[in-house]
Amino acid sequence: MHEASIALSLIDVASEVLRENGGARASALTVRVGAWSSVVPEALTAAFPACAQGTPLEGAHLNVVTVPGVGECPTHGPVTLDVRRGLRCPACGAPTPTLVQGDELELDEIELAEPQLEES
Amino acid sequence: MTTTQAPRIVTVRQNILKANDHTAAGNRAAFRAAGVRAINLASSPGAGKTALLERTLRDLAGSVRMGVAVGDLATENDAARLRQWGSQAEQIVTGTVCHLDADMVQNILPRFDLDALDVLFLENVGNLVCPSSYDLGEAARAVLISTTEGEDKPLKYPTMFNTADVVVITKMDLADAVGFDRELCRENIDRARPGVPIIELSSRSGAGLDAWFAFTRGERV
Repeated sequence: MHEASIALSLIDVASEVLRENGGARASALTVRVGAWSSVVPEALTAAFPACAQGTPLEGAHLNVVTVPGVGECPTHGPVTLDVRRGLRCPACGAPTPTLVQGDELELDEIELAEPQLEES
Repeated sequence: MTTTQAPRIVTVRQNILKANDHTAAGNRAAFRAAGVRAINLASSPGAGKTALLERTLRDLAGSVRMGVAVGDLATENDAARLRQWGSQAEQIVTGTVCHLDADMVQNILPRFDLDALDVLFLENVGNLVCPSSYDLGEAARAVLISTTEGEDKPLKYPTMFNTADVVVITKMDLADAVGFDRELCRENIDRARPGVPIIELSSRSGAGLDAWFAFTRGERV
């Protein structure tokens, strides 16, 4: 269980982006978590709100997009992998040593909260 | 009147662990400058990391200059066990954190004279999940699995095994007693990390240690 550590790192990266955008606050952020990243999306979602308290991310909604593993089969080209079967082509069983995608752990985008405009 | 604006989306596309990776790159540069081979050891608790290190420190003393930084949640026991063989061993007490990260390694490095070392072992916290995410700046990552664990561990913890430069099967002296399915284990390791070198050994009997010592020295296994 290192999702709290991951959440804190996520908040650091996001806070830096918010500073670069004039100290805005975030209403939502989207992260991409690969099936081979060893991060459990549910645990990250659970840890995030508490970690975000007192930061510009407090109250922001966390969207976690799970990225499936994709390998390159010599015969079948890009194939979607099943974690339980390892790096093997699901069609022919050939080893697919390199993950084309699926090891991501990245902050994809941030939705900035607009400052509350006063009525005029 | 109130003005409503569309939400502003900022595309970021940044690695969440970029700060760790940055520190790890600094550690790696320090190791390279001093000619130190840093080896990150990971396994589940009880797979025999400390036993293998004890044996390594004992058998290679005099031919390889070694040091150990060992991560543990709470105790200093492992460092004390390792020091009796004459090498420097420093404990990184991680508190509630279940893995080593690059900052912890960076913070402990001043305690070592890197120029006086050939190899620095980074014994990770016993855990097959979290340590896989954190680059420490190591030259090589060794993942241990013992014959007393399930042969399906490589498929249950694919990320850890998928980042290994070598997989070590420990406690081979117990293989028959516990009905260890060697072929199945090797097959599952190869599924998690196709083509990864596999070393089978027993720290107790000494069988298979030569291949591990070769890996320690940075030779092909």
